[in-house]
Amino acid sequence: MTEDQERAQARASALLGLIMVVAAVVVLVDAANLRESDDALGPAAAPTLIGLLLGVLGGALVVQGVRFLRTPQGSALDPRRLRRLAAMVALLIAFALVLPILGYVVSSAALFAGAALLLGAPHPARVVAYGWTLAALAFLIFDRLIGLSLPTGPWGF
Amino acid sequence: MDQLLTGFADALTPANLLWALVGVTIGTAVGVLPGIGPALTVALLLPITFRLEPAGALIMFAGIYYGGMYGGSTTSILLNTPGESASVATALEGNKMARSGRAAAALATAAIGSFVAGTIGTIALTVAAPLVADIAIGFGPPEYVALMAVAFVTVSALLGPSLLKGAASLVIGATLGLVGIDTLTGQSRLAFGVPSLLDGIDVVIVVVALFALGETFAHLVAGTGASRVEPLRGAAVLSRDDFRRSWPAWLRGTAIGFPIGSLPAGGADVPTFLSYGLEKRLSKHRHEFGHGAIEGVAGPESANNAAAAGVLVPLLTIGLPTSATAAVILTAFQSYGLQPGPQLFTESGDLVWALIASLYIGNVLLLVLNLPLVRVWARLLTIPAYGIYAGVLLFACLGTYAAGGTTADLMILTVLGLVGLLMRRADVPVAPAVVGLILAPLFEQQLRRALALSEGDWSVLVSTPLTVILWIVVVLALIAPGIFALYRRRRGEPAPAEREHAGDPR
Repeated sequence: MTEDQERAQARASALLGLIMVVAAVVVLVDAANLRESDDALGPAAAPTLIGLLLGVLGGALVVQGVRFLRTPQGSALDPRRLRRLAAMVALLIAFALVLPILGYVVSSAALFAGAALLLGAPHPARVVAYGWTLAALAFLIFDRLIGLSLPTGPWGF
Repeated sequence: MDQLLTGFADALTPANLLWALVGVTIGTAVGVLPGIGPALTVALLLPITFRLEPAGALIMFAGIYYGGMYGGSTTSILLNTPGESASVATALEGNKMARSGRAAAALATAAIGSFVAGTIGTIALTVAAPLVADIAIGFGPPEYVALMAVAFVTVSALLGPSLLKGAASLVIGATLGLVGIDTLTGQSRLAFGVPSLLDGIDVVIVVVALFALGETFAHLVAGTGASRVEPLRGAAVLSRDDFRRSWPAWLRGTAIGFPIGSLPAGGADVPTFLSYGLEKRLSKHRHEFGHGAIEGVAGPESANNAAAAGVLVPLLTIGLPTSATAAVILTAFQSYGLQPGPQLFTESGDLVWALIASLYIGNVLLLVLNLPLVRVWARLLTIPAYGIYAGVLLFACLGTYAAGGTTADLMILTVLGLVGLLMRRADVPVAPAVVGLILAPLFEQQLRRALALSEGDWSVLVSTPLTVILWIVVVLALIAPGIFALYRRRRGEPAPAEREHAGDPR
């Protein structure tokens, strides 16, 4: 592993640890707001324990990562890549919102095409055609054949 | 024995044979795709089985499980991108063999080794499962608590680069397992008033998010480098010499894989590496290791498949999943209205035996399907990465929608996918999170049940000899790595080389 990769890994560890510490606070606050029962072990016991563990392990990851990153140098993650990631997340959220309105086939075809283009597909027209085919096939198999009811748009698919 | 024959009679009806064939075919086809290991294969294909009657669904599901295992080894050998850490050892020698033009032999020894190990493993499962179920029927909550403690510690210690990272993953999974309504008091925990969080986060969603979305996002961030598919020449057959070198390795791999897989401890990775080390030590061709030694493919691949059968022992008889794949299988059982555990064999015996019979049948089908068709599977690998990952995304969303059915579930999927990406970047293994998600709520339930029975007396947890032994195992597993390190430092030996993480297995 090169030093750049190690730094990237340490940065990710530290960030993950930080998120765990934040989550630990949320879990502990949530646990403190539960009503106690007369059982030997109430509903708050498990979340309290898990919250503490989240905090300790997250803290350890932060310390480990930060100690490695103490000597500041090297570049952060390429902003273009982060933008691609943000675009993908936006695409997934848009898919979730649009799915009940436009129906499965149209939304999924758009999801496939968008994702493939973000991942570096060369021919937009071909990707759209693949997306339609795959989404239509999935709809036929899962909705019509297997009987999973997928959302349909105003046009019935 | 009678029950097994009845199981075969159930599994061999034309309709059920068809389901088995469909299962192994799509299981292999999906398992072959790079970056998709058995756990994800099983999770992605679960919706297909939803509307079948339970016997057909279980039989198809067994086919998908074994098919995913077979498909994964093809990818490891031809592409060197193992879909799960249990196939890393296969990739070590297998990809080297493929690079030196011996891909056909590597695939053949992997397929036949899988068949041998899978069949012996299934026979051992047939014998062991009813026996273990008989013992387990006497287990009370204290035994379950101790067993799960063993699973927690071993899963975090064994399924990752370090105890800290393994434990972090386990606790992340346990946190997700908290979400939902507390069964004892009816209060909601960590649901924040969101309706789809009230019934908890579905395992399928977590598996799909952490494995599939994590992998897709990682590809996006890393920039997709073109990976090299090794060409496949000739038919997948073994020469006499290859066969002579392979068969002892198949049997040794099986002998290591099944017993370790069937322990209520962390899964299938360890036996594959043990088998690799053993073959390297025993081989007369030790100089070939690192350049493509056939024993180094035959042993670990057999160990992997035997362990996959072994993992079903604690799963079916105790209800204890010890790998990510087993955790998904447990959910599948529950969605068919079955609860794995000691009662399973008495209450739904017919279904279980039909399942076990279809494991034998699936193995035969896979051998028949794989040796002649391996070129077809290999062609799937030439689908460009953007096509594979966009397709995976499409089916990931479909699986999530099938499991949850709301927009909120898709949002949860996206958020967890980002967590999966971060875990991958930080080299934190994903599998313990899935095990934690399933086991932590069970652990809490059994612990509370134990304390309710003893009216709050904690000593109930060590009230029988078995529980005492299990707790000692927990303590040993926690302190053993430290003691080993200390011992080595005393003797002035260097620490052993870190386990090689070829590609990004998790």
